[in-house]
Amino acid sequence: MDTPLLEVRNISKAFGDVVANNAVDFQVNTAQIHALLGENGAGKSTLMKIICGLQQPDTGEILWKGQPYTISNPKTARAIGIGMVHQHFALFDGLSVTENIAFSIDGAVQGKALEQQITQLAERYGLSVEPRKAVFELSAGEKQRIEILRALLLNPELLILDEPTSVLTPQEAEQLFETVRKLAANGHGIVFISHKLKEVKTLCDAATVLRGGSVVGAFDPRQQSTEAIAELMLGSRDITTTRQLRHFGDERLAVKSLNLQDNDVSLNIDNMQVRAGEIYGIAGVAGNGQELLYSALSGELTSRNNASIVINNTAVGSLGPNDRRALGAMFVPEERLGHAAVPQLDLNDNILLTNISNAATSKNGIVNQRYLSTTTDQVTDQFDVRHAGNKVAARNLSGGNLQKFVVGREIIKKPTLLIINQPTWGVDAISAMRIREALQTLAASGSSIVVISQDLDELLEISDQLAVLHHGSLTDARPVAEWNIEQLGLAMTGSTEAA
Amino acid sequence: MIHLEPRKHTSAWTNLRAIMLALLITALLSVLVLFVMSDRPTDAIWQMMTFPWQGRRMEVQWGLVLQQTAYLACIAIGLSVGYRANIWNIGAEGQFAFGSIGAYAAYLILGSPDSAYVFPVLILAGILAGCFWAMIPAFLRVTCNTNELLTSLMLVYVASHFLTYLCIGPLKGDPKAGQAETYPLAESVRATKLISGTELHTGLLILMAAFFLLAAILLFTLLGYRLKVAQHTPRAERFAGFSPKNTVWLSFALSGAMAGLAGAVYLTAETGKLIQAENYLENFGFAAIVIAFLGRLHPLGILLAALLISYVNVGASYIQASLRVDDSVADLIEVVALFAFLGCAVLDNYQVRFTSSRKAVTT
Repeated sequence: MDTPLLEVRNISKAFGDVVANNAVDFQVNTAQIHALLGENGAGKSTLMKIICGLQQPDTGEILWKGQPYTISNPKTARAIGIGMVHQHFALFDGLSVTENIAFSIDGAVQGKALEQQITQLAERYGLSVEPRKAVFELSAGEKQRIEILRALLLNPELLILDEPTSVLTPQEAEQLFETVRKLAANGHGIVFISHKLKEVKTLCDAATVLRGGSVVGAFDPRQQSTEAIAELMLGSRDITTTRQLRHFGDERLAVKSLNLQDNDVSLNIDNMQVRAGEIYGIAGVAGNGQELLYSALSGELTSRNNASIVINNTAVGSLGPNDRRALGAMFVPEERLGHAAVPQLDLNDNILLTNISNAATSKNGIVNQRYLSTTTDQVTDQFDVRHAGNKVAARNLSGGNLQKFVVGREIIKKPTLLIINQPTWGVDAISAMRIREALQTLAASGSSIVVISQDLDELLEISDQLAVLHHGSLTDARPVAEWNIEQLGLAMTGSTEAA
Repeated sequence: MIHLEPRKHTSAWTNLRAIMLALLITALLSVLVLFVMSDRPTDAIWQMMTFPWQGRRMEVQWGLVLQQTAYLACIAIGLSVGYRANIWNIGAEGQFAFGSIGAYAAYLILGSPDSAYVFPVLILAGILAGCFWAMIPAFLRVTCNTNELLTSLMLVYVASHFLTYLCIGPLKGDPKAGQAETYPLAESVRATKLISGTELHTGLLILMAAFFLLAAILLFTLLGYRLKVAQHTPRAERFAGFSPKNTVWLSFALSGAMAGLAGAVYLTAETGKLIQAENYLENFGFAAIVIAFLGRLHPLGILLAALLISYVNVGASYIQASLRVDDSVADLIEVVALFAFLGCAVLDNYQVRFTSSRKAVTT
């Protein structure tokens, strides 16, 4: 048997207490399309960063065509023939296709000569582009082709594609698969990172599954059932059936025929009802419309259809955040710094951020600093926020403390409905536990909570109802106990039609 | 190799140090400028620093300085409202001109009355006219998403040509005057002198009252808070429930009103009539942009910066008269100060580290 093009042996990498990669073995052959599968946080990105020289492994070795290599920086990786196409494009909008490509090869070839090379390459692999067009005129699919072309110009033997289809239409994706097949037929090794099992099964001839930093399976995806792969990705988690089914109250939130479009993502939700006392979890892989759904619910993005969102029996679809807050709805966005809190402002000022329409915070337009300070004290005491005084800028708090602060800021107002996006993302374990407890206590007191999260364990732990967001639509919610891990996996990877 | 590291802690002291450094750099470069531009540089430097005490009548020179300070501070704090929220009105010069035109138009509409009670009406008309002129770029930005930097600047030229047109056309006054100008206002509607022999008048009190009112609004009210949020994080602005469009309207309205107020006061107190643009406008609207930044958009800073620039301006006129140094030296010093202050502002949030290039960090 041939020596593999790339072989990774026993790679481990830890960040503090978090083990991102644990004794990972992984190999890609020439002319192979190799899928790398795993949930968010399974360790795929870390592994790819190590292969591209962006990070150094703690232990283990990398063999390139059988020779051990130390890939100390991205330059080395490029020099030996490893190319990567990132999920997010790094292109200059104002420049033409050719100019963008010239940048990435340090202007080694320019003008007509480069244009010719681009056209040749493009023809060979079916990557139709117009070299003189400016990037801002291009679709997502065309932009991606530029990214692929510029990786190809460096003659890589191994090409890594990071979730390449996440921004593509089905037709564009089909074109991309053609290109990938041609590349493999020409002897390139391909690493194809994806969450979509259907496309992996049709395109790839090998697959490796990561979970919690370790390899849990390596197989030929064409010979495995989608269900089996999904279960491998998610693991055999216990779904707690011990959770009591409580009695829920009246409907607090209803979403009907909500259709929104923002950049490349669209959202179509017709089937969401949340009752008093209920925690409604929304699972899903990143980039399936979570941010858009949050904005639509908080009123940061309004809809023309006022009846599309109903909070406490009032239609609010076209109302802004403060009108919705007046109805007892409160919101916690995903991004702590720069959305939930203003990094440069102190804690008192950040209390004011979500209390503008609260009559106690200002009188005749003059801000009541004393009231703000008292509220800060209440939040920091009640939620154990470690801070060096109320006048300290929000950016000086640790992630966990700031998250407790922005969650506490809303909970202390006793909301009847709380919308929270990624409640414990990047937060230390103890703070995360406290936040989950606080959410459960709030629900027990009769509030409704919508939790949007990519952390499935978290959702299984705290949700009463669980729905899955995929490609902007939501499956019907079911009590957590009625889901099994296989169904969840299928819904999250889009392997079944979202109901 | 020199590189910048973000500071972990910033304090009033680190900010003050950066400001002192900027002042020092400005002073050193200004000395250099005077050495180039004057054949008696030591005299020039000395006289420029101490000019109020040079002549016999100190109050006259100080009067000139305070007069300019009031105009500049008033316009600059208005501009700082928008700048705090990243909204760039650089057309204060045109809004100033419209303030004057509005006040004069109100005077004509009222039938050229000879009564002191008309004075507040003219001031109000000036405020509204300045506001109106500033609403144009705001409207274009909100509806068509045009760049307000360009539109507000272009409208300066429209306004100044309009002013000249009025003076040579429909409102033309005494044809024997050496310049195109309108007939003067009645003496009773003009601002009254506070101290005889100086340039200080009641109009300046109005300017300062407006300055302190707006300063208080910026420091203590929800409006000031909203601008702070908009300045740092537009996303948090929407989250807090503030409409970014209303922020645009609001900041243009306020900055236009302040420039219009200054224009109306200028008409009633300084000239008493409209004059063709090049003889009427003194670039207050442009100097105020520099002052807003020198003062770091903070009311106290703006007041001190306006004082400093006025002192330099009047000093430059003084040495032009006494030593025949061209007064463009003031413009040079202004620019030097702007560069020094903007450059040193980096030190608020970053500290300079010197390392040998070999140890350069690799990631």
